[in-house]
Amino acid sequence: MSKYKLIILRHGEGAWNKENRFCSWVDQKLNSDGLEEAWNCGRQLKALNFEFDLVFTSVLNRSIHTAWLILKEQVPVESSWRLNERHYGALIGLNWEKMALNHGEEQVRVWRRSYNMTPPPTEESHPYYHEIYSDCRYKVCDMALDQLPRSESLKEVLERLLPYWNERIAPEVLKGKTVMLSAHGNSSRALLKHLEGISDEDIINITLPTGVLILLELDKKLRAVGPHQFLGDQKAIRETIKKVDGQVKVKQGKK
Amino acid sequence: MSKYKLIILRHGEGSWNKENRFYSWVDQKLNSDGLEEAQNCGKQLKALNFEFDLVFTSVPNRFIHTAWLILEELGQEWMPVESSWHLNEHLYGASIGLNWETMALNHDEEQVRIWRRSYNVTLPPTGESHPYCHEISDSRYKVCGVTLDQLLRSEILKEVLERLLPYWNERIAPEVLKGKIVVISAHGNSSRALLKRLEGISNEDIINITLPTGVPILLELDENLHALGPHQFLGDQEAIRVAIKKVEDQGKVKQVKK
Repeated sequence: MSKYKLIILRHGEGAWNKENRFCSWVDQKLNSDGLEEAWNCGRQLKALNFEFDLVFTSVLNRSIHTAWLILKEQVPVESSWRLNERHYGALIGLNWEKMALNHGEEQVRVWRRSYNMTPPPTEESHPYYHEIYSDCRYKVCDMALDQLPRSESLKEVLERLLPYWNERIAPEVLKGKTVMLSAHGNSSRALLKHLEGISDEDIINITLPTGVLILLELDKKLRAVGPHQFLGDQKAIRETIKKVDGQVKVKQGKK
Repeated sequence: MSKYKLIILRHGEGSWNKENRFYSWVDQKLNSDGLEEAQNCGKQLKALNFEFDLVFTSVPNRFIHTAWLILEELGQEWMPVESSWHLNEHLYGASIGLNWETMALNHDEEQVRIWRRSYNVTLPPTGESHPYCHEISDSRYKVCGVTLDQLLRSEILKEVLERLLPYWNERIAPEVLKGKIVVISAHGNSSRALLKRLEGISNEDIINITLPTGVPILLELDENLHALGPHQFLGDQEAIRVAIKKVEDQGKVKQVKK
């Protein structure tokens, strides 16, 4: 029986989502569609009379801005690198469609969605390496800068996320606080895998649309009592999921 | 020698600042000038390469928004922001929503200046029939344990300091002592109360201290968290003098041109 409710949200669209590029730890802003998605979520939460006690975000501004746009200002916001998007290593900044042309759609799908596959790590010569690692937000983490990931599989995302879930988020949920996580596609998938008990094989088929509220109902031990539910117009949500899945397909030229 | 640095910031303008009305705990949003001021403040801190670790604000939205806008300019949205009613503005009692200029017409400019700036002089308290009573007796104050009676009274600056000090001692000072650079985004009178305490400003001299909106105020502190010198306004000093005069003139009766 459901005892607790958790809301998870994949932040709205940023410029690189639209360009089909691996954004990962690059600190892209929400684009105008992303802002609109956030406002719509805010309106939806208001219509559902959802009031939050606490929101957790990553340290990437697109997840924080999403939270700021949705919530009343007095709701405390706590940010941690442990909710960051999956670190895509050397793939950061690359375009999925071009990669699909070079490596095949299935390979790119596996890179994006699989559980155990770690992309090649980012090196100092990577165009975004210094932008990421010279930022002061990574100097004040609970992990030394040189220990922070240079690339991750989804499994590794869950491994760094779980201590934060166990030590910071779960205790708040158990106190009866209404909590929202404003996070990213892969960090949200990793957490859902853990809470719902999704297998390593099935997680590859889980796609989360941007800017759609995800409700997970939990029992007294914080295990999901059923699959996650998307809140809102279900047809529109199915279209959005199809759009996210379709981002990796090579566009067919018209004959 | 300066061991610690503290930045205090009076929030940007809301529409009531423009109308010269006593805001107190009424939750007015930032107007476009206020948004711009907050953004400029952020740009200024960025140009000064100011890095800080933690932001404290009061509870009304405009203070939190000011903090967010500054963090956005700095690209540091991830920074922790903590809000507390202890940093809220001076409770102005029955004067909430009134216009200083009208009050100056009825009571004279010097009386308004004393009401606005003094340490010990009380304004009349408000009651449940006050037009803004329900707006300030908000659910967010119930969870802090602030009673309706407390919300309806008016405070003198001395009382603002008395309710701010425990928060300074228990939450803010320990962070400063750990070497964290802290920003306090607050209001004119809650900021003045804190400066009075840290700088040792007398009850008589505090009446002459005016803080402009949206200008970062730097205070350098010694190892005991006493100010090493007077607070400094960061930015274009001429523009700041104009901004201070603007705040001071809010309590004056405008002269009609002949």
